[in-house]
Amino acid sequence: MNLSDLNGRAEEIVRRYESRKAAMLPLLWLVQENLGHVSQEAEAWVGRLLGVARSHVHEAVTFYHMFHTGPVGRRELRVCTSLPCRLRGSGDVLARIEEKLKIRSGETTPDREVTLTEVECLCACEMSPMAQLDETFVGPLDSQTIDVVLQAALDEPEGSAPLPEPDVFISTTGPVLSSHFGNPEGTFFERYVADGGYHAARRVLTSMSPEQVIQEVSRANLRGLGGAGFPTGKKWSFVPKTTTKPKYLVVNADEGEPGTFKDRYILERDPHALLEGMIIAAYAIGSHKAYVYIRGEYFRPARRLQRAIDEAYGQGWLGKNIQGTGFDLDALIHRGAGAYICGEETALLTSIEGGKGFPKLKPPFPAVSGLFACPTIVNNVETLACVPFILRNGAERFAALGTAKQGGTRLFCVSGHVTRPGVYEASVSVTLRGLIEDACGGVRDGRKLKAVIPGGISAKILTADEIDVAMDFDSLLGAGTMAGSGGVIVMDETACMVDALESASRFFAHESCGQCSPCREGTGWVHRIVRRIVEGQGNLRDLDDLLGIARDMEGKTICVFADAAAWPVLSYITKFRGEFEEYIRAGRKSAGRNVTACPA
Amino acid sequence: MPRLTIDGRTVSVGEGATVIAAAEQLGIFVPRYCYHPGLSIAGNCRICLVEVEKFPKLQIACNAPVAEGMVVHTKSEKAEAGRRAVLEFLLANHPLDCPVCDQSGECDLQNFYMNFGLYQPRFREQKVKKRKAVKLGSHVMLDQERCILCSRCVRFTDEITKTGEFGIFDRGDRAELGLYPGETLDNPYSANVVDICPVGALTERDFRFKARVWYLSSAATVCNGCSQGCNVDMHFVLDRPHLNDGARVVRVKPRTNPHVNQWWMCDEGRYGFGWLDRGRLRSVRAPSALAADSTWELALATISAALARSGQGGTRPRVGVIASAQLTNEELFLVRTIFGQALGAQVSAAVPEQPGSCDEFLIKADKNPNTAGAKLLGLAGPDAPPAERIVDEALAGRLDVLWVFAHDLVRLFGAENVRRLPESVPLIVYSGTNENATTQLAHWVLPSAAYVEKDGTFVNCHGRVQRVGRAFPPLADSREEWRVLLDVARRLGLTLDWRGPEEIFRALAAALPPFASLSYQTIGEHGADLATVGSATGTAARCSKS
Repeated sequence: MNLSDLNGRAEEIVRRYESRKAAMLPLLWLVQENLGHVSQEAEAWVGRLLGVARSHVHEAVTFYHMFHTGPVGRRELRVCTSLPCRLRGSGDVLARIEEKLKIRSGETTPDREVTLTEVECLCACEMSPMAQLDETFVGPLDSQTIDVVLQAALDEPEGSAPLPEPDVFISTTGPVLSSHFGNPEGTFFERYVADGGYHAARRVLTSMSPEQVIQEVSRANLRGLGGAGFPTGKKWSFVPKTTTKPKYLVVNADEGEPGTFKDRYILERDPHALLEGMIIAAYAIGSHKAYVYIRGEYFRPARRLQRAIDEAYGQGWLGKNIQGTGFDLDALIHRGAGAYICGEETALLTSIEGGKGFPKLKPPFPAVSGLFACPTIVNNVETLACVPFILRNGAERFAALGTAKQGGTRLFCVSGHVTRPGVYEASVSVTLRGLIEDACGGVRDGRKLKAVIPGGISAKILTADEIDVAMDFDSLLGAGTMAGSGGVIVMDETACMVDALESASRFFAHESCGQCSPCREGTGWVHRIVRRIVEGQGNLRDLDDLLGIARDMEGKTICVFADAAAWPVLSYITKFRGEFEEYIRAGRKSAGRNVTACPA
Repeated sequence: MPRLTIDGRTVSVGEGATVIAAAEQLGIFVPRYCYHPGLSIAGNCRICLVEVEKFPKLQIACNAPVAEGMVVHTKSEKAEAGRRAVLEFLLANHPLDCPVCDQSGECDLQNFYMNFGLYQPRFREQKVKKRKAVKLGSHVMLDQERCILCSRCVRFTDEITKTGEFGIFDRGDRAELGLYPGETLDNPYSANVVDICPVGALTERDFRFKARVWYLSSAATVCNGCSQGCNVDMHFVLDRPHLNDGARVVRVKPRTNPHVNQWWMCDEGRYGFGWLDRGRLRSVRAPSALAADSTWELALATISAALARSGQGGTRPRVGVIASAQLTNEELFLVRTIFGQALGAQVSAAVPEQPGSCDEFLIKADKNPNTAGAKLLGLAGPDAPPAERIVDEALAGRLDVLWVFAHDLVRLFGAENVRRLPESVPLIVYSGTNENATTQLAHWVLPSAAYVEKDGTFVNCHGRVQRVGRAFPPLADSREEWRVLLDVARRLGLTLDWRGPEEIFRALAAALPPFASLSYQTIGEHGADLATVGSATGTAARCSKS
């Protein structure tokens, strides 16, 4: 197999996009999947096909960390070391794997069988500590399952025994999002339709105007569930009504916020809910082309969604003249390649366009000038998955499920030191205490709660006596934190806040795109100070320096990544100051790569 | 036209303008690294943060569109605190290279730190290590650690030269500027990236460690490398002969002129100044018989006498003058006035064309700076008598005096022909700046001042007259052509009461309609378009020979 064998498929891929350069990521995947890595020759080949200088192809290859510039092992084992996994012993897991394979992370076994990599959150925190063997998520890992996984790594993929599926809690009773989550193999078209699926889309396409759809969604108080909580109907209304440019609907399936895994369940178990939501949204904004940007590590979710898309095309729910209504809509999956920042909506657009995941300057705003400089709406997977319910059952019913200003339910992802980690559908008015103690069975092993991160790693931390707060956007904002992505990370008394901050700051330092100075330098600086502290070399004045640096990072950057990076620094140190000071005074060192050593 | 207030002063600007441009109109400088008026907006350095009323967050001035009634504060406490914070982030990993960095003295990190930084630095960690002293090509050196990733060079090679050499690889604080592995930076405009680099990441190999910039003086002039006439600044040192091996000119930088070269110049022009200090003719050279007495006085007395003698008895003087499109308009005007009109000699600057390389951007095939001027004066162009005729007359023994200005006749007409000139012409005078094959043939060799050692004007290929600025006095015993010609005129009994180039230009402007109403003042530092131009056709983008 060499590059020229791929010419035909490459041309076919390029044809799917409005701009040649947008085929950058799919072509790099084509190369790596067929030839094992992206060589210099391949970079030149891609550059020629896209009409782009080699330097810019190389930029993409080095920016997206799933691409390899040289040969790697036959199998790749990616061990997740973000906070939720660290809380459940990923440090020990990695140490054991390194011991068994006799290599350090970042290396390949001498027989070139296995490459071992440490990665940031794979968004499977409900099965932490976990890893990814090529395309498969494996977890929770303990000494036994590690051996099974390593054996599977050395076997041929087709011949090995199936890896154990984790036994985590998964909501299945709805009412909005989870009713099909009971199907581990996913929900096929027939079942989806039999349960009332595509009813709402039919109603919309045959009897409603786009304006009416926007009003319905607005009245439902649906808020953006990717993390920002912006009113969805209002966002849709920003698209200019009079423009000759094509309009794009872009689905943000680049789930990456540590502690979050809800979109994965929708993609794997109920993809038609997303598709139906997409059809309704596209109709509302006048779009005829939808891109779904799925993070590169989500191999199975992408396959499941593609299967659903193929079904939808086959059944006349995508393509030209949908169900004879005259409405056209094409949908295309675009896979990322390992960069959390591509979850920022404008970075996501730049990534589709074939560049590094650099957020765009605002103004102009995406609704006016987004993908390919055309009006674009970016919505999260979960947000769109709520839309069919709204249009089938009415805005009032959805609104009534929530609070006065935020309607509906959402999928809460609970991980860390709880008895039952998993994905829980609940009204947005549920309290954090209710979620942890009632739904999740409380803190594990009867331990005491110490702290909770209510909305993904970016969210400011809450102490154990601050959990009587409702989980809607406004309540959590009022409590000085945020609902964010709904990723709830629970920490008990064994958790060390200094280690937790080291984990959080390392995540942000790894994932900063590097475009603007306060974030690029600030995230690296913060992490280096915290690492020095956990290595026992901290000074007391480091704490005020950290607070000052974090405050300086806020409000000055192209996107809010720097603010998000600042929030853990500000909240952990402020709320657990004593613990940090004790740690430094005692010259304490981190016990390992876990977040478990805690001063008494 | 929205009207806005910046630092208490109001200004009206065009629709779609940015706050940074509006501030510039008011003469308010907003610090910037990544912003460059000739490149697209990147908005990544964040140093141009300003406070805009009704906006909760500071805004970057380079991308904030002006709005009617907007109120901006560039120096409020909030803006200055924000800027200080950004500066601290930029300096966090920046290496303490000032003592060994060529940019020192003209570095915007130094300048802005002194202007509004002056904080107690908090960074006490190990700085990120990257590659240093990386040769990118013939002219540019890269230091990755010093780079602040403003991406100006990336945008330059993408948008201006469209060659795409630069990229910023990896991400976060590991991001690094570089070329594609194994590639070199050798496009014809490569050194411009050094000009636009705000820090010492991209530096000139030619200038490396030569001199501290605070020892350099600067003079505005134009490049004489081709007919484009890119505006430049000569940077030179006169009083420190231990620097730069005693050569005066240390480097050349483009000077901004929106009408000619915008912010750019080509590498060939930039590095083509070595002849100003090397291989120069430093003193008058008499014929071997008079070698002991090689003075200007004797030279001009002898030559003037020969000129006067040649026209005696009412016959047409047998004098041929081959002038050059390297000469200024003032000098060509004197050549025409003295030799052509007063003396009735054969005068021409119409030598065979020797076009060089050219492109769609700045580089012109005509490697002379003043062909258009020579044409306007009737000394060059299709209507002017060709210089070849004068050479033929000379070879046929029909000339008493042949005076050649700034040409190498061997290169123009071939050694075979030109070799025989001393046999057929009793007096050959060569006036030029540097040694060449023709100086061997001349009886008198007169050292000319280089174009940066005199005042004068050139007309570029687009019909724009620009001033040549005198940076420093002529080297050694060389003299300005105009001074020599006025001296000759006096000895020939002509009353030309002009004392210098400015007055000569005034006379020229009175005599030639395209130059009417122009003066050194109206030409200024950026030049002026002539009223009508012969064969030049505005800002032609096509690569052509003119």
